[in-house]
This record gives sequence, structure tokens and C-alpha cells, in this order.
Amino acid sequence: MKTTKYILFPSSGILLLLLGWHLAAEQLGELIIATPEQAYRALLQLLSDAQARQQIWISLQRVLVGILLGAGCGFALGLAAGFNATVRLLVSPLRWLLMSIPPVILVVLAMLWFGLGNEMVIFITVVLLAPGIYVNTEKAIRAIDPRLQEVVRVYQFSLWQRLNRFYIPAIAAPLCAALLIALCNAVRIVVLAEVLGSEQGIGYAIATARSNFDSHQLYAWVLLVLLLVALLEWLLLQPLQHRLTRWQQEPAYAAT
Amino acid sequence: MLRLDQVTLAPGGNPVLVDFNFVLKPGERVGLIGPSGVGKTSVLQAIAGLLPIRVGKHENSFQRIGYVFQEPRLLPWLSVIDNIVLPLQARGLSRKLARAQAEAWLPHLNLPMQRAGTYPASLSGGMAQRVSLARAFALQPDLLLLDEPFSALDPALRQELTELCDRLLQNLNCALVYVSHHPDELQALTQRCLLLENKTSHRLVEPIGDVLLDPM
Repeated sequence: MKTTKYILFPSSGILLLLLGWHLAAEQLGELIIATPEQAYRALLQLLSDAQARQQIWISLQRVLVGILLGAGCGFALGLAAGFNATVRLLVSPLRWLLMSIPPVILVVLAMLWFGLGNEMVIFITVVLLAPGIYVNTEKAIRAIDPRLQEVVRVYQFSLWQRLNRFYIPAIAAPLCAALLIALCNAVRIVVLAEVLGSEQGIGYAIATARSNFDSHQLYAWVLLVLLLVALLEWLLLQPLQHRLTRWQQEPAYAAT
Repeated sequence: MLRLDQVTLAPGGNPVLVDFNFVLKPGERVGLIGPSGVGKTSVLQAIAGLLPIRVGKHENSFQRIGYVFQEPRLLPWLSVIDNIVLPLQARGLSRKLARAQAEAWLPHLNLPMQRAGTYPASLSGGMAQRVSLARAFALQPDLLLLDEPFSALDPALRQELTELCDRLLQNLNCALVYVSHHPDELQALTQRCLLLENKTSHRLVEPIGDVLLDPM
């Protein structure tokens, strides 16, 4: 039953997507859409090419630095705002501004401020990721059961214990959800920024493939981006999520 | 020594007790009784530092305060043993020493060692309250605050835990402030009772038999 649920259904979903993709490619022609097979072959070529691997590594570094800084800033500000109404009020206009501004406008502005390259891409990633983490952290902190907070005060937990053994586990579920969204968004934002204004990275390679009408390579890069998101989720987020929410896996007591 | 002198207790800015006086010496056991909403829990909260005292004088020389709430209030993401270990670490004990001390307290509360690694959600109400008691007793407190800790348990378990607490309190020579609606528990655990009748009327009831004869 478990095998059916966790292997058969997702596999069938992937097969259906591939089938749809294949049919669309056959209808529209390979110049518009490469078939899954062509994209897969181009992907293998990319992975064996040192220059392509370099582009992947550059984007990956940007994604990781962007997540680290964006999530870090959002989390720190969210904690502060969760505890302190003054901070919350001070930060709220900036939060509103960053959540309302279209990413493309931010890319254009950042290109003006930083030019092309790492700083611009990382800046945009941080600025677009931080508000999501901030909102989730702030709301989750404010939703913690005040009765449990009394336990922390009575037993005089240290600052580190409060953060590491109380607040982070208490907000683990919304925090993990926010991190998952941030992770996917980070890859998308980095690629978007690179397409629009960078001379290196996956986005730049995608833009190049598009201008060369090389649809095989274009779709290979798209597959690679998807694999990158899956890999990051599997390697970074799932272990963290498992660690933080392990207690929720245990069956609850059932009175007899 | 704990002394509250002409104190006003106002949770949420709303005074529930006015001109309240209370003295507790080391090793002394006092019960707090009175109708619901009269401010018994507020007294415990004030003693524990959870409720600020803005009016009146107060001094508290008790160093290690254990508090058992009406509900177990275990941190659900920590295992049973870690719920006991963490307050000990907060007192400066190393993780190893705190764990050894916490493990040593499990049998005192009739908690099987096999449950040490489980999470609170898998415990029954009685078992969870035992862990809450273990968390308080493991600190080796000089003052224990009990806020109707057995009210949700069945009579047999209530009696068992009351007797258990009595034995442990005797061994530790620990002072106690005990809130309960059950005269039998108060009689078993305390030497005298403070009857809180309303906002301003609080009187010491001695001997405890008076309380039993004069139900509210």
C-alpha cells in the first residue's frame, strides 16, 4: 500500500508529464519544443562539458548564498518582530514594499545599482526571499502557546536554549514550509536574474541557447534547473525538516 | 524565605488580590484554597516571577523553584528525558550530568526507563504529569509550586501521586505552595492553608480540619 502511494503515483505523474511533453513536441516541432529524449541527450552532453558544469556551479553558489543570506535576514528580523511590536511596525512598510514589487523591476533596478554579475543576482535573491521567511517566522513566533513560554521562563532557559530548543522547534512546521518555498524561489530568481542581466550561470546559458535557437539545449537546461531544485530539497531541506519535525512522526497516545 | 507584604496581584491589569500578605519559610508547606477565579494561580505565578508585582513589597530567597502546572506543559518536540534534562542544563549542569540526574529521577516517579526516549504526545495524561513532576523534582527545588496538578486524573492515580509527592517532599525538605480544590490532597501535603475568599479577604485556616468542616 505504501509502495503504491509513494512510488507508483508520483512515477505515474512524471510519466504523464513526459507523455504530454512528447505529444506537444511532436505537434509543434523540435525548433519550438525539443522532445524529452532530445532534451535528455543534450542534458548528458551538458553534464560532460566542463564549461557547462562551471555555469551550474556559479548558479549553485549564487542560490546557496542567496538562501543563506535571505533566510538568515528574514529569520532574524522575523524573530525580532515576533517578540517586539515596535520592530514589527518598523519593518512592515519594507516588507510590504518587497512583497509588492515585481521581480523584473527589481532586476532592472539592481542592474543599475550593481551592474552585471554576482552582487546583482545575490542581492535580488536575498531581497525577494527574505520577506517570505520573515512573515512566516513572525507569525509563527506570535502563535506559540503562551503556556509553554511560561515553562521557559519558570525554568530559566538560557538564550541559546530558548532559541535552539524552544523557539526553532516550536516554529519548525511553518519555517520548513517557508524554506521549501524559498528554496524553489531562489533557483527561479537566480535563473531569472541571470537571464536578464548576467554573463555567467544557468540563466545566461539558457539565454544563449534561446538566441541560438538551440531548443535541445534550452530544454536540457530547464531539466537541469528542475534537477537542481529536487537535489537541493533532497539534500538540504528534507534532512532539516526530518530533524525538526521528528516528534510529529511518533504515534499519539490513544486512550483505551 | 518568601514574603509578600501588602501586595496587589493584577494579571492583565485587572486586580484579583489586594493587600495580600503571605510568608513561607524553608521547608514549610502551605495550601491555597478558594473559589475559582479568586487569584490562587496568580499567587503562584507571582512567586515564580511570571506575574510582575507592581504594588507592595516582596522578597524571595528561594533559589531553585519547581513549578507543576495544572496541565503537564511538556515541550512536545523534546523526548521525555530531554524535558527533564533541559531545565537542569539551564541550571548549569553538563548534558551528561543532567541526563544522569534526570534518569535517576524516572524510577522515583514510577516512570519506566523505556519511555525516556518517547515524545510527550505518546504519553497518557497521568504519565505526562509524572514527567512534569520529575522535571520539577529533578531540580532538587527548595520551593515547589503545585497548581492543581492532579485535577484531571482519576481518584486512584490522584491519591498515588499525592502520596508520592509527600514522600519526595519529605526527602528534599522542600517548601511547598499547593493549590487544590481537594481537601484530602491538601491535608496530605500541607501543614496549613490560606483561604482566599475574595479580592481582599484572605485568612489562614489552622488546623486544616477547619477547611474540611467548612466547605466553600
